[in-house]
Amino acid sequence: MNPALAGVALAVVLGGVIAASARNARTAVLGLILAVVGGAFVAEPLPDSVGLAARLVGAVLAGYLLWIAGRDADARTGGSRLGWPTELLVAGAAAVVGYGSHGLGAPAAGPALAQAAGFALAALAVAPVFNGRDVMRIGLGLSLLASGVILVRTGLGGTPDALEQLVFAGLVAVLGGVVAALAVAARTDGLAGFDMTVAPGERVRRRPDARPVDPR
Amino acid sequence: MSLATYLVVAFGFAAGAWLTRGHGTVGTVVGLGGLVAATIAAIAIRPDEMLLIGEGGLAASAYLRLFLVMGSLVGLGLAISGLAAGTRRDLSTVTLATLGIASLTLSLTDPRAAVIAGTAGGLCGALLAVGRGGDRAGASIGIRDLRAVVIAGTMAVAAMAWMGRDLSRLDAPPVVFGLAYLAVALAVAIRFGAIPFHLWVARLTDAVPDAGLPIATILAAAPFAVVGLSWADASIAPLLVDLGTERGVVLAIAVASIVLAAIAAVIQDDLEHVVGYSIVGDAGVALLAIVALDPEAWGPARTWILALVVTRSAFAAWAAGLRLSFGTGRIVELRGWVIRSPLSALAFGLVVVASLGFPGLAAFEARSTLVATAIDGPFAALVVVAVLAPVAYYGRLLAVGLRRPDGPPEPGAWRPRVAPVNLTAPGEWWRTTWEANRAFTGALVAALLALLAVSAAGGAFGGPEAAAAAAVGGPAPTATLVPLSSEEPSSEPIPTE
Repeated sequence: MNPALAGVALAVVLGGVIAASARNARTAVLGLILAVVGGAFVAEPLPDSVGLAARLVGAVLAGYLLWIAGRDADARTGGSRLGWPTELLVAGAAAVVGYGSHGLGAPAAGPALAQAAGFALAALAVAPVFNGRDVMRIGLGLSLLASGVILVRTGLGGTPDALEQLVFAGLVAVLGGVVAALAVAARTDGLAGFDMTVAPGERVRRRPDARPVDPR
Repeated sequence: MSLATYLVVAFGFAAGAWLTRGHGTVGTVVGLGGLVAATIAAIAIRPDEMLLIGEGGLAASAYLRLFLVMGSLVGLGLAISGLAAGTRRDLSTVTLATLGIASLTLSLTDPRAAVIAGTAGGLCGALLAVGRGGDRAGASIGIRDLRAVVIAGTMAVAAMAWMGRDLSRLDAPPVVFGLAYLAVALAVAIRFGAIPFHLWVARLTDAVPDAGLPIATILAAAPFAVVGLSWADASIAPLLVDLGTERGVVLAIAVASIVLAAIAAVIQDDLEHVVGYSIVGDAGVALLAIVALDPEAWGPARTWILALVVTRSAFAAWAAGLRLSFGTGRIVELRGWVIRSPLSALAFGLVVVASLGFPGLAAFEARSTLVATAIDGPFAALVVVAVLAPVAYYGRLLAVGLRRPDGPPEPGAWRPRVAPVNLTAPGEWWRTTWEANRAFTGALVAALLALLAVSAAGGAFGGPEAAAAAAVGGPAPTATLVPLSSEEPSSEPIPTE
């Protein structure tokens, strides 16, 4: 095992734990940035400079936009209801499963650590994505999920080429930008926080601006 | 180079329209100008072009060009329709970004990268759910849209990554191929909002303007579906694995979408939900192509998807135009719309022809081929009848339109009203004329898009030929599989149980 790669993979998982468990929005965004930036380096061999630069730019751009969305010091997101130790254990267990099942039935072209980190991020994303109650937390969960599956793809198929890295970077940046736009829209309607309007399963009222009705 | 030009135009104008969106007319001009420029750039794409970037590449094709031309025209029409309706959502920006990403999705030669681009393309539509200023309700709907898009993308990326390598030393039962196939098929179903994955689409119709609904749903999902279909044909079909159970699941989803969406559209009380469910129903037909797993279905599927995008966009524009003319989207309050708005009636008739079709029409033949290749036996006859279920909701809309209108008629209300040009104040003249003709503009755009829909459904512009051809990039990377149980690749289906 490459110790440097193991260190980066560990940092990615720790970033994911912070993103999934922190209640302060900016702390969670910092964790996400750590996970996404680190994820670009969990490959063997490392991507070429163009691909790596694209990944870093995409990750930083996404993180910056999310950082803006959580600009107030009191911007709170849901965080983990069970606490970070539980999230750490979940991530650790998933990483062990990912490492142990490297290749998923056939020899893989990428490092086992990438699959381990990918499984960990995907496991951390489950609670926010399916049980999140605020826009920022669900968005962070979706970013973790996307980053996780990119790592799994790297673990299975080897280091992606420059064009694929560019597409990854685009996905991360667009996802971060759209989540940030939605988070800002949620926060600026007069109420504090990123909370969704209603519980999952309920319908929301139609905004008049969607289909403005003018008198004939 | 021509493909790169299109990318620059689409993304450049999308960024420009986003940055100027707070500047009233300037933002509008940049957005609409961008869509016109995108249409021209799409026409200029050379179908035989290949753009190499590192080890990967972007390959243009006739289908890519046709999809982008149609998408740009449809986007332009819908943006004008949205403007006439008075919505302040960023329709042009989102359309341009979606088209730019669609061009990447359809041109990337590696399906693993293409499906990621297809996922990114679906994200922009969520912005249409959000109004200017604070909009917590819209953000709540938008994040659910994102959730569906990212989950679908994750499933497809994982399956394609698993298959996209040398599997000659696979140590797993062949059922894993079925799981990979099912993951991609379900991902496409989720993206199309097929029943039972339709809740996010149903909610989206509560927040997105009529004119934006096709952008957020089918225009973004269609390239993703084309990639999924291409991958299934290239990677799964040649393996000769018995996928009876998995195909049955996807078939059930497809048929449920076709039938239940038509029923849902009939019982809905507002136009936008009828439009939403009509999209879901037609998407069910597209899913039949994945059930078929037959290269024979490749061309018809892409023909159908192209016709679906244009036809349902025209239907949405018709709904937006009717809402604009009558000040309501409640169907029961639209009595006499056929009599009061002949232009809308013309658009409606063309949309019905384009979506239902008749023998000889390219979309009709494509749909028939998809049913025939996906389903055997007497059940196929039932599905052939089921795909005509939209007759029910079209009939209801027509019946309402033919009833006696409420209140006295407004003579000439549906005609254009143009005052003599005032050369001393042309700006004022333009504003007055625009305001007086918003309803007419909505109906006119709907009629033009409906005409385009009939053309697309009829196979104009070389649609079926372009749909049947492969990209110049050649076959996509596929799994290399040699069954472990024999030295020679077997020609018999590998049982999954």
